[in-house]
Amino acid sequence: MSEIKTEVLVIGGGVLGTAIARELSRYKVDVTLVEKEADVSWGSTKANMCIVCQGADALEFRKEYRRSKLVWESIPMMEPLCRELDVPFKRIGELTIIRNNDEMTKFQKLKMRAESVGITTHQFIDRETLHRMEPNIAKDAIGALYDPTIAITDPVRLTIALAENAKQNGGNLITEAEVQDIARNADGFEVKTSQGNISCEFIINAAGMLVDKVAAMVNADDFVVFPIRGYVAILDKKVGEVVSHEVHARPEAPGESNIITPSVYGNVLLGTPMKLARRGDYATTQEMTDVTLRNAHQLVPDISGKDIINSFAGFLMFRNWELGWHECVVSASRNVPRFINVSIGYPGVSAAPATAKEVVGLLSQEGLKLDENPKFNPYRKEITDFSELSDEEKTELIAKDANYGHVVCRCETVTEGEVVEAIRRGATTLDGVKFRTRAGMGRCQGGFCSPRVTGILARELGIGEEEVTKKGGKSRHLLYKSKALLQGRE
Amino acid sequence: MLQDVDVAVIGSGPAGMAAAIKAKEAGAENVVIMERAEQLGGLLHQCIHNGFGLLYFKEDLTGPEYAHRFIEKVMDAKVKMLLNTMVTGIAPDRKVTAVSSQEGYTTFRPKAIVLAMGCREKTRGALNIPGTRPAGIFTAGTAQRFVNVEGFIPGEKIVILGSGDIGMIMARRLTLEGAEVKVVVEILPYVGGLIRNEVQCLHDFNIPLLLEHTVTHIHGEKRVEAVTVARVDRNKNPIAGTERQIECDSLLLSVGLIPENELSLMAGVELDPVTGGPIVDETRQTNVPGIFAGGNVVHVHDLVDNVSWESELAGQSAASFVTERKKAAGRRVTLKPGRNIRYIVPHTISGEREVTLYMRVNDLEEGVRLKVGGIMSKALRVVKPSEMLKIELSSAQLGKLEEGTTEIVVDCEKRGE
Repeated sequence: MSEIKTEVLVIGGGVLGTAIARELSRYKVDVTLVEKEADVSWGSTKANMCIVCQGADALEFRKEYRRSKLVWESIPMMEPLCRELDVPFKRIGELTIIRNNDEMTKFQKLKMRAESVGITTHQFIDRETLHRMEPNIAKDAIGALYDPTIAITDPVRLTIALAENAKQNGGNLITEAEVQDIARNADGFEVKTSQGNISCEFIINAAGMLVDKVAAMVNADDFVVFPIRGYVAILDKKVGEVVSHEVHARPEAPGESNIITPSVYGNVLLGTPMKLARRGDYATTQEMTDVTLRNAHQLVPDISGKDIINSFAGFLMFRNWELGWHECVVSASRNVPRFINVSIGYPGVSAAPATAKEVVGLLSQEGLKLDENPKFNPYRKEITDFSELSDEEKTELIAKDANYGHVVCRCETVTEGEVVEAIRRGATTLDGVKFRTRAGMGRCQGGFCSPRVTGILARELGIGEEEVTKKGGKSRHLLYKSKALLQGRE
Repeated sequence: MLQDVDVAVIGSGPAGMAAAIKAKEAGAENVVIMERAEQLGGLLHQCIHNGFGLLYFKEDLTGPEYAHRFIEKVMDAKVKMLLNTMVTGIAPDRKVTAVSSQEGYTTFRPKAIVLAMGCREKTRGALNIPGTRPAGIFTAGTAQRFVNVEGFIPGEKIVILGSGDIGMIMARRLTLEGAEVKVVVEILPYVGGLIRNEVQCLHDFNIPLLLEHTVTHIHGEKRVEAVTVARVDRNKNPIAGTERQIECDSLLLSVGLIPENELSLMAGVELDPVTGGPIVDETRQTNVPGIFAGGNVVHVHDLVDNVSWESELAGQSAASFVTERKKAAGRRVTLKPGRNIRYIVPHTISGEREVTLYMRVNDLEEGVRLKVGGIMSKALRVVKPSEMLKIELSSAQLGKLEEGTTEIVVDCEKRGE
């Protein structure tokens, strides 16, 4: 990559970075997004409970905090955004379980506070109603606070869609470009990346887990954040709807959330208490699984560890431990003009739409000229999901493109046509194909499809099969060709 | 295009081919075999080692050779083949839906179906091994496909978790390819696969075997860099203080096979929670009339020869169902697993015809006596969970069944007790 010049450089391809890039593409602004991984959404966005806060969850928020404002402003924006971008959005409702009278009192206060800022969607339901709505819930629950408006989405697909739509509207996306250094100059900044230098006038730092490290490169780190690690376990689809709403108990302390929710694809997700952890240590432990299951059993006794098909850890950046999940960083640096730091912490996905608008406002205050892009098209179509088509549509599609008649992933019924389309849109790795098409996400976890997807990636990208990676960088899947290890040996 | 199909066979591995050939021989006219891959044979093509057909052909064949014998018979029998065809659904009324590049999206209703989808491997997710999620973790069978069919070697320093047959065979295969298999780790006190594979694949190549150990952590961010291995106690829990780290670039998993029955469930076929396969009678008919099953889709076998025999029975029964419209036998005797018996296939017998029982034990035991109700008794030197027991019941023995018997218990008793 030779030296690139751009007006606004967005660092970080998570849900916030891509939402900001897409928002900027509404204007005649030259925007470039750099992401250190081989694909967008692979940081905090990926390890996610997929919940879109719509009300009751905002109970914990306080209006004096900026983060609450961003979440509340995002509430009416999320569903239309998902519709524009053809991303799954499902309103499932939320049940905050009440276990005793003390909790009841606390909830009444919280409900009143929420009503005072205009959030009026939640209601108390009694024991009978709760057990009718969720027959598998623990018998000791005495009722729940119900918010019918809470929704779920797929944050990874949302982020991919935001990036695609930003590109459609003139934005530039560079993956596997890790920011190594930032220097100020007369025109703005000179940014050194692992793929060459980029000069820009404005920087949006949405580097997620590394937000403070990136800011520190140019002394714009006038804030402190703490890495908090969470753990998510995915249950087999065959478990079905052990819960049909997002269900949780009110945390005793910040970070102690304990959530069970369906995903948009019919799996159930278990979330665990979040803990301060060494940054970037994504390794899971037996303890995480044990604690998660123990907590889940308090809400739904029948959940079994045997049904876990996958699990992973992810990071959130808390503003500080006390206020941790109340406050966020969405502000221009006090020390460095034209440098904006963005870190929501939790819930990044839910707050993304309003945060993007807020950041564009901050850019304008810092001097960016915003002329409308008359060609801006807010719509983007998802890759055809073969398994969801009608019989006639399937027949028609195969007649048009025989690749759709070749099923490469048996568990999720994903066809070669979908894999080719994912690659055409920017997937360069096995995980990239998986997150776009679900090939490899089913119960055999890629056992059947990985040789086939490896072959298609090699063919479409014009590389050798041994060069195909799981997730970019040094994650090559197959290290040697046959007989390579025997050459030169006796 | 698919009209008047008598018998549709789903899958063309050893089970599917045997069932299709036998169905044709037994008088079904229009037999169709549906295969998602580009050729008949299923996983036999990637099993390039020998040991196939010792019982069925009395010869020592490789997987592809064994497949070839059956492929020729399928061709000669004029069974219709639909390759590159993925069956996506079977309804309880036997309506089959399938997808292929050539034929597009098709549905048809055969008069009988034989399920022969085989099995799949347990994955890392199912074990929930703690640690990172790097590249370099393969099920043994997927690694086998990469090495023997695609022509690639996963890595140079290998640890194998589980001593199933495919794991042990891949230990030898990767050693022959120049990789270093550092260790095979098995959580049980004995190997999971056949003794002949332990001897010929591990001992003969000096590959270390660690019994009563497991992998407790996976290390490496982008690619596997090491695994932690620990000794386990009697309840299979890791013992603190016994951990050690083994440097490697690949982890192969050979920790068990699961019959692949997603289509069976769609068709309303009832499964046995122990085998993971359909509950079948002695003709291999499931609870859904006209739907039969054979091979690893019913229960996981250790020898292909038995897969072929069992599926021939399923194919023959499917043909009879079509040609004779034969109702299931009136009498039904349930076989109940007793002491140290994990499962028995078939699940029910009529008592009216000679039958072969396939069964597995729960635990390794020496000096036992196998008893089928009061009608059969046989002394055995040793029984192991990894080696299937095969018991034939003759007409004379079945004649001892008392009138009105609805259940027989099969026990594996300790001799002298």
